Amino acid sequence: MQSLNLSRRLFLPILLILPSMVFAHHGWSWTTGGNIQVTGVILEAKLGNPHGVLLIGVNNERWTAEVGQPWRNARAGLKDGDLAPGTEVKLEGEPSANIDDKLIKVERLWIGGTKYELYPSRS
Amino acid sequence: MEAFAIALEGLALAEWLRFSRWGYATVNTTHVLGLGLLIGAIVTLDLRLIGLWKATPIEQLYRVLSPVAASGLGIAIITGMLLFSVRATEYVELELFFVKLGLVVAGTGFVAVIHFRYALERLSFKQQRLVGIMSLSIWLSVLVSGRLLAFV
Repeated sequence: MQSLNLSRRLFLPILLILPSMVFAHHGWSWTTGGNIQVTGVILEAKLGNPHGVLLIGVNNERWTAEVGQPWRNARAGLKDGDLAPGTEVKLEGEPSANIDDKLIKVERLWIGGTKYELYPSRS
Repeated sequence: MEAFAIALEGLALAEWLRFSRWGYATVNTTHVLGLGLLIGAIVTLDLRLIGLWKATPIEQLYRVLSPVAASGLGIAIITGMLLFSVRATEYVELELFFVKLGLVVAGTGFVAVIHFRYALERLSFKQQRLVGIMSLSIWLSVLVSGRLLAFV
């Protein structure tokens, strides 16, 4: 029975960390369901699969914005370099249900007055 | 570690996967295929060891399921390394990633010891059950920690 307890001890920690994790990224289940707008300057851009991430400076705050995978960004008309650091962007999308995360999943964005639709069917 | 991760992300293959439309999706899907084979075979064998389907000899089940599990593990490791290379610098920041790696090493080591040092069918039922429970715990933990990586 001693060794049985050992295997239980292995498994339990994994189960215990489950509820404490912040669920994010995939799908829309972690967002509020309503849109907000965030305008700021791109500080850092990490594009590519599985999804692009922008770090946005909004006044004194830093927001993390999830944009599309390469194909989605390309479909919206975004070209390489459009999301370069220093670019001012207006983002619209759903924020994380926990607003303190300062995390938004972008549905569309504007650069210099041009609109780019990442999710045309969402509004 | 950081330098290694940066070097890995700079590889031409990683670069290609990062921006390809179907490459990443294909590798990702193949990783799931590996998991399916590995977990499916392992769970079946573990349940037999724990006491289900006693009419089926362990030896026969093992002969069929161990190569399936080993292939699954091989596929998962290769595709896993490719997926890792795409975002290496981000994964090395995650404690959970190392929890998962540690569990994979533990599970692989455990399987290797059992495979090369013991004949499962000759162990007592108590020992078989222990092996089954250990294996099930480790590999399901691998599955859970791996899946969670996509959500942190």
